[in-house]
Amino acid sequence: MEGLLSTIQQALQLLLYGDAELWAIVLLSFSVSIKAISLTTPLALLLAFSLAYGNYPGVRIILAFFNSLLSVPTVVVGLFLYVLLTRQGPFGDLRLLFTQSAMVIGQMILCFPILVALGYAAIQAADVRVWETARTLGAPRWYIILTIFYEVRYGLLAAVLTGFGRVISEVGISMMVGGNIMGYTRNITTAIALETSKGEFAQGIALGFVLLSLAFLLTALLSYIQSKNGGNT
Amino acid sequence: MTEPLFVFHGIQKTFAKVEILRKVDLSLYPEKCTLITGKNGSGKTTLLKIIAGLEKPEKAEIEFSGKSHSWEKIMPDICKKIIYLHQQAFLFSSTVESNIAYGLRFNTMTREQRRKSVKKALELSGLTEFAKKQANTLSGGVQQRVAFARACILKPKVLLLDEPVSNMDRQSREHACHLMQFLKSTGTSIVITSHVPQYFDGLADMHFELVNGKLIET
Ligand SMILES: Nc1ncnc2c1ncn2[C@@H]1O[C@H](COP(=O)(O)OP(=O)(O)OP(=O)(O)O)[C@@H](O)[C@H]1O
Ligand SMILES: [Mg+2]
Repeated sequence: MEGLLSTIQQALQLLLYGDAELWAIVLLSFSVSIKAISLTTPLALLLAFSLAYGNYPGVRIILAFFNSLLSVPTVVVGLFLYVLLTRQGPFGDLRLLFTQSAMVIGQMILCFPILVALGYAAIQAADVRVWETARTLGAPRWYIILTIFYEVRYGLLAAVLTGFGRVISEVGISMMVGGNIMGYTRNITTAIALETSKGEFAQGIALGFVLLSLAFLLTALLSYIQSKNGGNT
Repeated sequence: MTEPLFVFHGIQKTFAKVEILRKVDLSLYPEKCTLITGKNGSGKTTLLKIIAGLEKPEKAEIEFSGKSHSWEKIMPDICKKIIYLHQQAFLFSSTVESNIAYGLRFNTMTREQRRKSVKKALELSGLTEFAKKQANTLSGGVQQRVAFARACILKPKVLLLDEPVSNMDRQSREHACHLMQFLKSTGTSIVITSHVPQYFDGLADMHFELVNGKLIET
């Protein structure tokens, strides 16, 4: 018991006194995940839009496909990417394995289905009069799309935050294609997973605090957005 | 009568195997107002949306500047000249001002010209006091007036009004009819649907009833 308390005390000290190593790990996590989510969002939302408004065959099948990918285990994505990126693999020449780029790519694969599925749900719920009004008032196609996105902005923001929550807290991909290299690919989750096994509890707990606070913050934001969303319709 | 702007021929539309419109013909003349009445569900909204290019008909021909074209071919060119107003006014979730300015963003006006134009439209339609208000906090009648102003500011060749005064009190209604009269005098062709034709007695030049998918002159 006493051991646990003193470890928590150490963890708080690490956090509060700005331990450089610890905050570098946090920064790296955010940098990788923000890159992944911002690279994925535009493409995923455009696909979601075309699924909601395009009248082409196969829309249902594509949606079912992305929905089934929502709960794919991260280690499976990691494994898949590892096989592609390993020296002997088809993309081995790119030398991407155990780099931040590989982590970004993996996290992009992870959040793409989330953004498509939740983005589709939001866009599809938009009043059809948004499209009709924008069109009859002479808006060009790209502006109609922006108008619809603006009308459902809270739903889209919720989709992005949910995607971010998933990628920042995943461990399987970062571990397998990142490799937990200190100062280069070690992020919050791989640090917790691997440093704990070496008996370094304080750092793990401190990083756990960061992730937990982020989870609370994201949840609070999401429920705020939902209340906004409800108030508008 | 002067030459019509557009002549629609043989508009056909079926929803779930029910024929809503059976070869409807309609000519739209400049400076004229056409009133269309008909029971609930007779297809008035559907007809207006097809004319505006928002709903796809099974078949329709459009005569325009001496030639006949299929609906699919010509709609992209002419729908810019035709504006449809919803039965239930729809405003974007922004201010009244920015709603009215919406359609002006796609022409070559300068920022200053646009501002002036919006100001004038607000004054003309008596909406100046609401300019900075969030559109979705307004009452139904005021929303209808905003939607109307947002369309008029674009000076369309054809204005399709689906139950335009249904939510308005008497004063707003008379004001709206005045604005329609003014718009008509500037050359706009107006089509109105309504369940209360008396409201448009001084305004309407032609009156049709939509019965069993056909327009019948009354
Ligand atoms: N998108 C749609 N899908 C299926 N049926 C539709 C659709 N839109 C309209 N209908 C049907 O077409 C018919 C005509 O509808 P429409 O809205 O044009 O009537 P209306 O004359 O405008 O009625 P109201 O006086 O109530 O406004 C109705 O029976 C309606 O149920
Ligand atoms: Mg109707």
